[in-house]
Amino acid sequence: MLFNSYPFIFVFLPIALAGYFLLGKAGNLAPILWLALASLVFYSFSNWQFVPLLLASVAFNYAVGLLLIAKRLHPGLRFAVLTVGVAGDLLVLGTFKYAGFLAANLNAIFSTGITLNILLPVGISFYTFTQIAFLVDAYRGNVGRYALPHYALFVTYFPHLIAGPILHHRDMIPQFERAKTKRPDAHLILCGLIIFAIGLFKKTCLADGIQPYVAMAFGPVTPTFDQAWIGALAYTFQLYFDFSGYSDMAIGISLMFGIFLPLNFNSPYKATSIIDFWRRWHMTLSQFLRDYLYIPLGGNRRGTILRYVNLMITMALGGLWHGAAWTFVAWGALHGVYLCINHAWNNFGPAIPPRFTRLAEIAALILTFLSVVVAWVFFRADSLSSALDILSRMVHPTQFTWGYREMFATGIVGLYALLCWIAPNTQAIMNYDHKGRTVSEKLAPWQRWPAFLYAAAAVLALGVLGIQQHSEFIHFRF
Amino acid sequence: MSKPAKNLLRFLGASVLIVLLAAALNFIVDPLQLFRSARFYPAVYSPDSRMQNAGLIRSQDFDTVFMGTSLAVHFRQSDIDRTLGVRSLKLATAGSTSAEQNFILDAALRRRPKMIVWEMDEWIFRDAPDVDAEAYMPADLYRMNARGIAGYLLGLDTTRESLWALLRFFKPLEIVAHGLAAAQYLKFYETRVNEINALPASADLALFYNASKTKVAYAYNLKNPSEISAGYNYEAMLRNFERDAIGLIEKNPNVEFRIYFPPYSILQFVAMREIAPDTLQLVYKFSAYVIDRLLSLPNVTVSDFRDAQDITHDLDNYLDLVHHSPVVDLKVLAGLAAGEHAVSREAPLASIKRLQSQVDAYRLKRER
Repeated sequence: MLFNSYPFIFVFLPIALAGYFLLGKAGNLAPILWLALASLVFYSFSNWQFVPLLLASVAFNYAVGLLLIAKRLHPGLRFAVLTVGVAGDLLVLGTFKYAGFLAANLNAIFSTGITLNILLPVGISFYTFTQIAFLVDAYRGNVGRYALPHYALFVTYFPHLIAGPILHHRDMIPQFERAKTKRPDAHLILCGLIIFAIGLFKKTCLADGIQPYVAMAFGPVTPTFDQAWIGALAYTFQLYFDFSGYSDMAIGISLMFGIFLPLNFNSPYKATSIIDFWRRWHMTLSQFLRDYLYIPLGGNRRGTILRYVNLMITMALGGLWHGAAWTFVAWGALHGVYLCINHAWNNFGPAIPPRFTRLAEIAALILTFLSVVVAWVFFRADSLSSALDILSRMVHPTQFTWGYREMFATGIVGLYALLCWIAPNTQAIMNYDHKGRTVSEKLAPWQRWPAFLYAAAAVLALGVLGIQQHSEFIHFRF
Repeated sequence: MSKPAKNLLRFLGASVLIVLLAAALNFIVDPLQLFRSARFYPAVYSPDSRMQNAGLIRSQDFDTVFMGTSLAVHFRQSDIDRTLGVRSLKLATAGSTSAEQNFILDAALRRRPKMIVWEMDEWIFRDAPDVDAEAYMPADLYRMNARGIAGYLLGLDTTRESLWALLRFFKPLEIVAHGLAAAQYLKFYETRVNEINALPASADLALFYNASKTKVAYAYNLKNPSEISAGYNYEAMLRNFERDAIGLIEKNPNVEFRIYFPPYSILQFVAMREIAPDTLQLVYKFSAYVIDRLLSLPNVTVSDFRDAQDITHDLDNYLDLVHHSPVVDLKVLAGLAAGEHAVSREAPLASIKRLQSQVDAYRLKRER
């Protein structure tokens, strides 16, 4: 089921909320069970055949985690249990997500003729990573014992189940355990609705609105110079508004239940370096890759060269996580290279004189943005050769189309750029504080005007009007 | 009631009000003319046939439906009317499959036309998703069910078109609307139903249709042999033909079906001969079955223009291997009116045999 659909907004969500708060009067456990059940119903609408896989994954990880938490095992045995747990998760992920990719590569190299058509269970990458983090933390002794219903809800919680944010058990389960969240809070519901409205508007009006221009670069016709740039930039903004819109909706929905989800985006195109970009883009994935891959690999503790190697490994695997294709690996590796250059510049580059600081920041913002756009071409293209073809068009300003459509699209792309660079982001508008568990506590005067409320209502109305029948989120395939 | 609760109600109330205002605007303006013919403003039409056809079926008067793919999409209704002596409605849809054509025709047949003129080729019978799974096919609009009407009235696209339909009344904004239409931002901009998807009368046809373009397409196909055979599966095509064509014709015994096979350039079949001979044999076999089966029905006549050598061998008539110019449109209509290229029930395979011998004999002259 999609967040941007009438059945979700007008049927599923109201029923889920009503049941949750009604059962909240009966105690602390019943609403948890209700929400877990609602999450499974949500998942089963488009993925009913994979519900058993999801439940098996939850049971398997909970059992392994329980062994690590509850039993006093010999260190060697503890490591073996962790290995079995993580390997089991990766095996399932690998089978469903990467077996076809592996077979295609084997075919290409050895002409083996293996054909595999395995359906990808939506959300598998997200719930696998969530649970690997749980197992690793259990092994490290950083996890208390959780009740099964709370753990099951932590994994299946429908606002995040399909496309994140990637949740952390230490952040979520204590919130599920709090009795306060089971009582309806009109303030949180209103704020949640407004955040949801902003996310819905981002998705249905902004991301879907710019989508037709993406085909200028990535469609069947070879683009000219201007079309290649318009298409690449249009995709840059489409992806941001699509994914951050989804994250906003997830945060807003969860807030209506009294649960604060972590932020996933923080105006990434305002970044002034690639390091800064990765602190602002898909933040929960960046944190996961840092804590559970980059640091265990050695991080920056084993010298400069190994740090760069670790960065490359982390980013290439991060790319592969997004999809089983060489284009994603290339995208990740390219960001790995960017990060290495960025760290090297920080270490060995010249200091900027104070009077040029502002100028340098603007230059850094533009350079970072263009680097990101170039990398997105790999991310979006059907193949490496297609990506290189588009990039080659982007550096050869010899062929122009510059018709009405291109002129108009340039204006639209410019507007989106202004929106990304100048407008405040959702958390700034709503003063959302994930760690402090507050929202709209310290609003600016203009945010208290009735006009703000009605403007937000208009945003929700436009978001609902923008719902299209066939509009899926780009990152569902991750 | 607490202040947050009051604000929550205000917020929800205002949202609902705005949505209802948009729906009311869309109902009153009704850019697709689903509920009534345009009265308050000059009617405007969209080139998006899948969407527009749903409105045309309900708003236009007609006794004949003209159906087909991109090969039929730029015909003018006035030409059809004049040549065949009918009052036609063109519902041809670029890239349409037999499932889509069946669905659109089924909706149009509820208006009880006397005749269907159907441009048919083997390509439309390739396997394709159900109309409800087609991303750009608003199937519920044709059904006029609650989902379709809600999607139309509560759509941002409809609201945008409704607003601009009104804003066009103001002269300065009319120019802006023209610009937005040229940029393909506004979809409803054609003011004459006769001109929907037709090439402008002022267009330089020789620029669009010429032998060098046709030869480039031929060379491209030779380099990409998989493309010319894509979707050709005899069993699937047979199944879809029986379901979408025969099923519809048998369901409407009182309607006359005039089916014609369009004049592809000879290079289409020559390319198959060169790079996909199995596909070419499949086309012959499938055509033989289709013509024989169609002619077994009393309310069907079939014309086959694929062997019309005067058209198909003149490569200046095409922009690629199959798409012919409006000049050929008129020749096809004249041929239909005069009964030229009509396939007789006594010799249903004659046209296919002529085509076969033309394809076998054809040699593309090399440019010096």
